[in-house]
Amino acid sequence: MTATPLKRSLPKVNLFRLWLLLLLTILVFGVIGGVIVLSKGLVVTNLTDLVPWGLWITLDLSSIAMSAGAFLLCAVVYLVGLKRFQPVARTATYIGLIGYTMAVLFLMLDIGRPDRFWHALVYWNPHSLLWEVTMCVVLYLGVLSLETLPILGQAPWVQHHFPRISRQLIKVHQLAPVLAVAGMVLSMLHQSSLGATYGVLKARPFWYRPDLSVLFIFSAAVGGVSLTVLASMISSRLTKRVHVNDELLDTLAFVVGWALLGYLYFRFWDAFSMTYTYAPGRTEGLGLVTQGPLSFNFWVGEIFLGAVLPIIILLKKRWRADPVLRVLALALVVGGVVAYRWDTTMAGQLVLLTYLPQEITARYTSYFPSLIEFVTAAGVVAYGLLMFTIGVRWLNVVDHRPTRHEEKETASVAQPVPTPAQ
Amino acid sequence: MSNQSLNRRDFIKLVAAGAGTLASMQVLQNLQVSELPTASASETGGSPHKWVMVIDQAKCIGCGYCTHACRAHNDVPEEISWNRVISAGKVGDKEIFLARPCMHCENAPCVEVCPVGASYHRADGIVMMDYDKCIGCRYCEVACPYGARAFNWKEHTEPNPDVPTWGEPEVPRRPRGVVEKCSFCANRIDRGLAAGLTPGVDEAATPACVNVCPVGARKFGDLNDPASEVSKLLANLPSYRLREDLGTAPRVHYLPARTAVSS
Repeated sequence: MTATPLKRSLPKVNLFRLWLLLLLTILVFGVIGGVIVLSKGLVVTNLTDLVPWGLWITLDLSSIAMSAGAFLLCAVVYLVGLKRFQPVARTATYIGLIGYTMAVLFLMLDIGRPDRFWHALVYWNPHSLLWEVTMCVVLYLGVLSLETLPILGQAPWVQHHFPRISRQLIKVHQLAPVLAVAGMVLSMLHQSSLGATYGVLKARPFWYRPDLSVLFIFSAAVGGVSLTVLASMISSRLTKRVHVNDELLDTLAFVVGWALLGYLYFRFWDAFSMTYTYAPGRTEGLGLVTQGPLSFNFWVGEIFLGAVLPIIILLKKRWRADPVLRVLALALVVGGVVAYRWDTTMAGQLVLLTYLPQEITARYTSYFPSLIEFVTAAGVVAYGLLMFTIGVRWLNVVDHRPTRHEEKETASVAQPVPTPAQ
Repeated sequence: MSNQSLNRRDFIKLVAAGAGTLASMQVLQNLQVSELPTASASETGGSPHKWVMVIDQAKCIGCGYCTHACRAHNDVPEEISWNRVISAGKVGDKEIFLARPCMHCENAPCVEVCPVGASYHRADGIVMMDYDKCIGCRYCEVACPYGARAFNWKEHTEPNPDVPTWGEPEVPRRPRGVVEKCSFCANRIDRGLAAGLTPGVDEAATPACVNVCPVGARKFGDLNDPASEVSKLLANLPSYRLREDLGTAPRVHYLPARTAVSS
């Protein structure tokens, strides 16, 4: 009798510790890799003057994209007025904060002079997309931090040990609507200007098109919401501390399905419009993606696994209701968005145009990340997972029951109150 | 009620559309009369000079002396070439070469995209690097259509094999983590002008690659001075610039090899 609860709790604790140990191990390797990068310089990467942007930029773009759930859900809560999604927005905000700090870590690895990261804040070139991107990162990171303060204040540990600070932190919640709107503006600007960062470069015909900013924000919205739902569902499976409202998550997954269909539609026209241009380098770039070295990643990773399959699963009610299938579909969406960022980053750089006067011809180059790029990238991802684990375990970030404060708000606007899943 | 408001709205729309049309016609008329300002006029506003380089492909023999002299004078490491000489096919039986410094574009993509303004236009049009500002994001490298930029992937501490054979370094080595490129030897121009010399005429005020060229394929000078050699060359001979389709308006002009062979 007495042995049963012990037996039941023992492996659980071990699993959690094992998970932490795994993450910490990867993190330590990542830190070692990071120290090597910082001390030896970017010579330890496989980046070249022909392909100056590689794995880190791809993952930087991906972490930013995965943070888009925050602005989208805040829009749903504060602009559309669907207050019942507020608890999910809290999860998304926390994921957004993790995503943005991950992006900053990637950037610090990637820029040649991380000691000068603050230069963009002091020496302005407002005409540069990267300047705008930097400002968005900094300002939105500030907004996300403020939005996360109440979560910190509500953490039982903080409430118990520092009741005064906790009350002050929770007070920041009063700013939530203002922060949400500011965050939405910054985040939207950021997502689309990341696409435009590539889209304005005339030297890179595969990138030089206006729809990149549209596709970037579209895919980011889809991927960000997917990750929020995915992370909530997985953590609810693994621990009892998490309280999800499956009705909300099911609705969001359904919306992701339709949004993904819309994204695929625009993606088709985007690709199709590149087939007949005969602009040197553009058709070659498309060729790299559809037939060349990136084609498996494109057809299988981006289109079939990243879009078609999840669309079918998420739009079919019975399959979407199956938690395993839904988690699978959402994970595929996240993978598809990363694959899209990789294909775009690569295809623009792997085609080189000659500048010889006779004719402009396309040449090809190649890039494969070095071991140290992989190790440091794994370290940053492990950091993200660790932060989320801490959030789930100690900060109550995945609790989709309305808080007392929110319940009052919800009641006042006469929205149907979802029954909290006990 | 609803009809009336619709009508009123339509009326307002009509008036607005009419006013808009009138206004745009006015603008179009004005455009026809007044001349559009050119980019170069505004850029070179602070300086009386407009430096250009003219490279004669009919003369260039591809010896690569310019690359060596550039390496020595600007202390450029071996992995990097500010000034590259590449084979550009044949005209008749003769192999043709293309020497490629930085194009110092009037509409320079690198200047537009630099987030911190480390790539900038000087008043005389030279595209310059501020190595103390550069954060090493490499956006300019991705944006440059001419591959004129190189990143310092590591600290270069090795001795320069081209020193002292090809000259002595006149500028400090760039640190690890910044992007570097040809400067039209801006330091020589500035020093020469201060000493009352004329860039393109006096060697001490002229880019190292121009001085060293054994066949005189490179000319440098002020396009604002109609008496300068570059002005005369460009006025009298057919010339072209690289990737003019991009609209970058390079300040490096080429005299094609074809004319020399056929004459």
